[in-house]
Amino acid sequence: MGGIVVRDLSLRYGTRLALQGVSMDIEERQITALIGPSGCGKSTFLRCINRMNDTIPGARAQGTVRLDGFDVYAPGTDVVKLRMRVGMVFQRPNPFPQSIMDNVAFGPRVLATHRGGSLADVVEKSLRSADLWDEVKDSLKQDALALSLGQQQRLCIARVLAVSPEVILMDEPCSALDPIATLRIEELMRVLTQKYTIMIVTHNMQQAARVSDRTGFFWLNEQRAGILAEFGATEQIFTSPRDRRTEDYITGRRFG
Amino acid sequence: MPREKFEHDLHRLQDEILELGAMAERAISESVQTLKNKDIVHAQSIIDADRHINEKRYAIENEALTLIATQQPMAGDLRTLAAILEIASELERMADYAKGIANIAVMIGPEGLIKPLVDVPRMAVKACDMLHRSLEAFLRQDVDAARAIPKEDVEVDALYEKIYRELITYIIADPKAIDQATRLTWVAHNLERVADRVGNICERIVFSITGHGEELDTPPALGSDPSGRR
Repeated sequence: MGGIVVRDLSLRYGTRLALQGVSMDIEERQITALIGPSGCGKSTFLRCINRMNDTIPGARAQGTVRLDGFDVYAPGTDVVKLRMRVGMVFQRPNPFPQSIMDNVAFGPRVLATHRGGSLADVVEKSLRSADLWDEVKDSLKQDALALSLGQQQRLCIARVLAVSPEVILMDEPCSALDPIATLRIEELMRVLTQKYTIMIVTHNMQQAARVSDRTGFFWLNEQRAGILAEFGATEQIFTSPRDRRTEDYITGRRFG
Repeated sequence: MPREKFEHDLHRLQDEILELGAMAERAISESVQTLKNKDIVHAQSIIDADRHINEKRYAIENEALTLIATQQPMAGDLRTLAAILEIASELERMADYAKGIANIAVMIGPEGLIKPLVDVPRMAVKACDMLHRSLEAFLRQDVDAARAIPKEDVEVDALYEKIYRELITYIIADPKAIDQATRLTWVAHNLERVADRVGNICERIVFSITGHGEELDTPPALGSDPSGRR
């Protein structure tokens, strides 16, 4: 569950072409990293997977995205249900100004997805899966904003897990975190691949090299639209990239 | 935007590999000369100087590891650094062969040679020439040259073969020659191994340029190491 097939995906913001003709097969239960210079469409691409771009006025996608065969852009798609299946973690941890408990319980409450078990069980399970339970089990009523940034980010991951997604999209999830908190998130990502498909946008190439199974390198074409220049096994991309542009980028010879 | 410090450090390491290569080349060439000229004093100085070559190799290794740890090189840069580590170790081992030859020169001492040395110096010249050009290929990132040089190993192997057979005839003719003939076979063997290691260096160069490992082997010579060790 959680395999994604993208074919010839383009996205316009008004008249500006932000992403052009991206095709990519995202393997289920693997970590796929997206790297490339700023403004080359990595985050735009990520946000196409759960149609987060729909919230931006004038954004229009073309092409297909299939999640386990389900056409994400088919007319009549319930985007709320889609975003349950495809959760997202952002650059800055963004817990709600509520208790730890209420943050994690928010999704299951609103979406009424916890029918199988008690809400407390879902919260505990999610916090355990996000490697946060031991640190917060005695302070579940505490304000989430009192947590450290690293803990807040793991809380946001727990909040995503609480609605049982198949895919987790991460848009630079560690850029606000210190190296220790970053390593904990990276370890957590590895554990989460037992159940979830993960896509991560990162500017930290060492992070992409450390955590991902496959890496996609995005670049700008002559029309200044984002394209997927190279996509392959992470070990191949970082030791023997096939595309000169990838080589120049990851060795820091341009836009370093 | 080039990474100036990284580029600078990488170039310096490449220069140091060339220096280490020059040290190894000189040791090989001079060790054979000391044997030929019965220059025991110079032979001893080659043995003593091997320490400097070992030190240089470890200094290069240290700098390469520091560069990997501090600059996180990727792709071609990473492959170049891996090649530098490998080449430094090959060069150090080649210098050990030179030290071995100098040791034999000391062991044989002032006694007369059972035969004039002609093919042994030829082997040394050929092996050193291959070594020299392989390091030039590394510096110029010349993948064609790196692929071509190991093919010349057949010449070194042929000379080794010739020396080996010739020394056998000396042994058959005069059992008193056994001791020196055996030692001279070791000398030839060491030179044959130098040329083999040039092949290893060339393989690393090809990998560092193309990202693909290629076996640049030549057919093994008769009488060469039966274990197939390279």
